[in-house]
Amino acid sequence: MMQSQSQSQGPLAGLFDSYPALPGTYDEMFDAQTPRAAFARVAALLAKMRPEELARAQALAETALLHQGVTFSVYGDSRGTEKIFPFCLLPRLIAADDFRVLERGLQQRLRALGAFLDDIYDEQKIIAAGVVPAEMILGAAGYRPLLRGIKPPGGVRIHISGVDLIRDPKGTWRVLEDNLRTPSGVSYVVENRLISKRMFPRVFDAARVHRVDHYPTRLAETLRSVSPVPGDDGYAVVLTPGPYNSAYFEHSFLARTMGLELVQAPDLFVDGDKIYCRTTRGPKRVDVIYRRTDEAFLDPEVFRPDSVLGVPGLMRAYAAGNVALANAPGNGVADDKAVYPFVPDMIEFYLSEVPILEQVQTYVCLFDDDRKYVLEHLGEMVVKAVDEAGGYGMLMGPQSTAEERDEFRRRIEAEPRRYIAQHRIELSSCPTWIADRACVEPRRVDLRPYILTSREGPWVLPGGLTRVALQQGSYVVNSSQGGGSKDTWVMRESA
Amino acid sequence: MISRVADHCFWFGRYVERAESMSRTLAASMSLALDAELPPANVWRPVLVVSGEEERFGERLAANDDDHAAWGDGELVQRFMVWDEDNGVSLLRSVLGARWNARSIREVLSLEAWEAVNELHLWISSDAAQAMYLQHRDAFYHHARRGTQLTLGLLRSTMLHDEPLDFMWLGVLLERVSQTARMLDVHHHAFTHLARHHEIVETALWLSLLRGLSGSEAYLKRAAGRVSSDGVARFLVSEPAFPRSIAYCVHSAYDRLCDIRPPERHELPGGVSLEQLRVLDTWVAARAKEPLTGAAVHDLLTHVVDEVHEICGTLGKELLGAA
Repeated sequence: MMQSQSQSQGPLAGLFDSYPALPGTYDEMFDAQTPRAAFARVAALLAKMRPEELARAQALAETALLHQGVTFSVYGDSRGTEKIFPFCLLPRLIAADDFRVLERGLQQRLRALGAFLDDIYDEQKIIAAGVVPAEMILGAAGYRPLLRGIKPPGGVRIHISGVDLIRDPKGTWRVLEDNLRTPSGVSYVVENRLISKRMFPRVFDAARVHRVDHYPTRLAETLRSVSPVPGDDGYAVVLTPGPYNSAYFEHSFLARTMGLELVQAPDLFVDGDKIYCRTTRGPKRVDVIYRRTDEAFLDPEVFRPDSVLGVPGLMRAYAAGNVALANAPGNGVADDKAVYPFVPDMIEFYLSEVPILEQVQTYVCLFDDDRKYVLEHLGEMVVKAVDEAGGYGMLMGPQSTAEERDEFRRRIEAEPRRYIAQHRIELSSCPTWIADRACVEPRRVDLRPYILTSREGPWVLPGGLTRVALQQGSYVVNSSQGGGSKDTWVMRESA
Repeated sequence: MISRVADHCFWFGRYVERAESMSRTLAASMSLALDAELPPANVWRPVLVVSGEEERFGERLAANDDDHAAWGDGELVQRFMVWDEDNGVSLLRSVLGARWNARSIREVLSLEAWEAVNELHLWISSDAAQAMYLQHRDAFYHHARRGTQLTLGLLRSTMLHDEPLDFMWLGVLLERVSQTARMLDVHHHAFTHLARHHEIVETALWLSLLRGLSGSEAYLKRAAGRVSSDGVARFLVSEPAFPRSIAYCVHSAYDRLCDIRPPERHELPGGVSLEQLRVLDTWVAARAKEPLTGAAVHDLLTHVVDEVHEICGTLGKELLGAA
């Protein structure tokens, strides 16, 4: 590949010749037909690739992912079929200056969200001060009254978070939602990078990109920092629901790259409010659990009694301060879609700072004025159920039928607390390899950066998961809805 | 280590070994059928008996009739032993089993070993494998065997030699003891009861058995070219340097278990399994000095298979988290 690259003599435009930029949309790489200044060098190198080279590299990359088992399980398939997460080799680039702002904004946001959770599970000052209506919080599905008064070991609740960001037509970054429970996808960030480096060594070298492969080390440090046992003597494990879970690859990946053991619920038991692992040398005390099981399934004594994925007594051990859980249970109240509109208020309330990151203007259907507006403008809005994720329970107004709108109208009127609405934002686009047509076309993307919070505060991985809506005209980037991913290159220095 | 993980390691080892053994046995039987001048049922039925699938095959494909043509239908037996998803010991099921266990302990395996078993799994599930099976049967078995051997070799050359590998190897060795014992038992019985005692046929049969255990060259070196029923039986039971003999496998399994659960650490679980394996090791070693003819062979092999079965049960309860 290197050889043919240096031999190709085509015009610079090459790969991006007649790149059909989308009207009314911010493109991540091009301003009209010209590469953005920060990316000129990378764009020129990529442009030199011939479509057949890219097609070959793309096919090689997919085979490598399949052989390495970098796959997710397809639910509802009795043969346990696994698929690779669709991947586009063309990277998504982020300028150094842009990322510095994101980094500060995300750190600020995580500090505020952490303070909010501490407050909600303690004095609830923010409600008393009238900043957020009590009903918004106490009515959230993720609010766990049982946890009030419990302090998590190490004082951290949101050890691992993924914040979904989009870019509007002006190029302004906006937070779309916070994922503060068990965000997934970071293994693809690391794996995608390995593939990019193998397939585009020259371009990658020239681009001067921040590394991402130290994420597992930082995660292990974060977990150790909250251990109830000081020093290096604590025993930390990763808890997975098991190989049938769609994110099992990631659970296994993280355990492997951190050198921790991957456990399933039946491996653990509680005795005297302490938690133990069943080993070949008898019971072993566990101090920290990075749990990738939803909290509803964590402990059948407290949450869902029918859970076979849970460990009876786990929450007793947690309440007694004998085990740290990452992330802490109860975080769902802070990433509830109806609580999201109040995050800027939280930043001002807890930190007395001006929010650095913009959000998307959100209409809360519980409020009479907002609901009235939403119902009058259903055809223009995106309506979301506050307790669903993965692109489910949504109405995409501009693409909806009259029946779908009527259905959502009925649902909103019946349960206004469950719905919020936003105007549809023209998500930014990114050059994407379209295998069927063997050419590069714009597709819409979002960005999920990962933030680790230890005792010392939040740290942002300089990179993230770029999800791309591979279907032409689509705005939905979720992998469950035909989305794929790209490697995200955060530049080390300004152009 | 976590008991469930140890269990996956143990079964991963067993399945990989079982897949290798199946592909080797089928290839050897196919070769034997070509020139042994035996009734085909005498070639193919032992394959079913050794794997413990005689009854299921009889019910499903031979109408429970001992004289049914299916018993000698090499294609049918091979299809059953390679592809049948309801046959728990078919090659396909063993590869799927190995890969499923490997995926459950993905973080324990080295990347290379994982890739090897994953590629074997992707291959056997592919159309290319089906086509190779139909067009180049021998190449198909060769490929399957290479995949398992590569996996086993990579385990030893790329993983930490500590507890997880010990459990995998314990699984490999105990699976191998039973395979060798059952193959020897079935063939010994069949060959010594051949209607006409025919030296050339018998030699061909013993060599085929040895090939099925990757042992023909090793045996010929030890026996300086003399092929005899007693000699082969003695070799497969007692040869201390042959990695598939019963004595070698039992002794190595005991060594592995001593590393997992040191004999002096009485406070740790695993004591009963260790003692059972020690007793079997001593017993097998003592047999090296006794004559090995006729019914003695069958009795010895039955004892070994029963004891290994017992030991696997105890291991499950003591160390692998079985209820």
